[in-house]
Amino acid sequence: MNSTGLKVTTPSNLEIVMTRAFDAPRRLVWDAMTKPELVRQWMFTPPGWSWAACEMDVRVGGKYRWEWNGPNGERALSIWGEHREVVPPARIVHNELMTMGPGAGGCGSDCADAEPWELLATLELTESGGKTHLRMTLLFNSKEARDAALTSGMERGVAAGYDALDAILAGMKR
Amino acid sequence: MIRRLAEGEWNLSELAAPLRMSFPAASKHVRVLERAKLVRRRVSGREHVCRLKATPLRAVALWTEQFRALWEKRFQALDALLEVMKSEERGEGAGEV
Repeated sequence: MNSTGLKVTTPSNLEIVMTRAFDAPRRLVWDAMTKPELVRQWMFTPPGWSWAACEMDVRVGGKYRWEWNGPNGERALSIWGEHREVVPPARIVHNELMTMGPGAGGCGSDCADAEPWELLATLELTESGGKTHLRMTLLFNSKEARDAALTSGMERGVAAGYDALDAILAGMKR
Repeated sequence: MIRRLAEGEWNLSELAAPLRMSFPAASKHVRVLERAKLVRRRVSGREHVCRLKATPLRAVALWTEQFRALWEKRFQALDALLEVMKSEERGEGAGEV
C-alpha cells in the first residue's frame, strides 16, 4: 500500500472509519467534496450507472441529494440528507439516508421495500506540509445497517459479473 | 444474500424468492460465494441447503476490504481531479497561457 492509500477500520459495531491523505491543499479537497459539478467527476459508481441527480446546499440546514440510475434506466441508489455542521474547509457533519432501487443489480425486495438506512457522517480535513488528511466517520444506528453498508458493494460486485469480488479475494490472499 | 445467510440455513429456493432472483441466478451467486469460502452448500435429498461458513470476524474483514476497494477507486479519481485543479490554479496564477 502506498502512503496515500485508504485505510478502513470498524472500531465498533456501529462505525466505519476511513482515513486517507491527498497530495493537495485542503481548500482544493474541500471544493472537490462540496461542489456538485466536481463531486460528479470523482464519485465513482459501478459500470453502467449514471448520475440522475447531484444537488448540494453546503450550509447548516442545507440539503443534499445524490441519485444514480442503473443500466436499465431505473433508480439504483438514492442518498440524501441534511447538513448539521459546516466549517469550511475543515469539517462537515451530515446525516445520510440511503435506499437502493430496482436499477441496482442483485438487489431484490429486501432492499427495494426496506426502510432507508440512516447514518451520521463526519468529514474532517486537516492540512500539513501541503497534504490534506481526510478522516470520514460513518456512524450507523444499528449493526445491521452498518453491515448492510459494508456488504452492499460486494453484492453488486457478485451480481455484476464476479470480477470485482475475485480481485478482492485475490488481494486478501497475498 | 450474504446478510440473509447470516441469519441461518436456507435452501436455494428460500434464498432466491425474497430476493426476486431466478433459481439459476441464485445458484450462480451461491457458487461464487462458495468459491470465496464464505458459504457452505450441502445436498439433502433434492435440496441444496446453504449456510454461511465464514466466521463473523472473517466476514467483516472481507466486507471491509471490498468497501475499501470501492472507496479507494473513488479517491483515486479524486486524486486525478485534484491534480487538474492544482494545475489550473497554477495556470490562473501565471495568467492565461
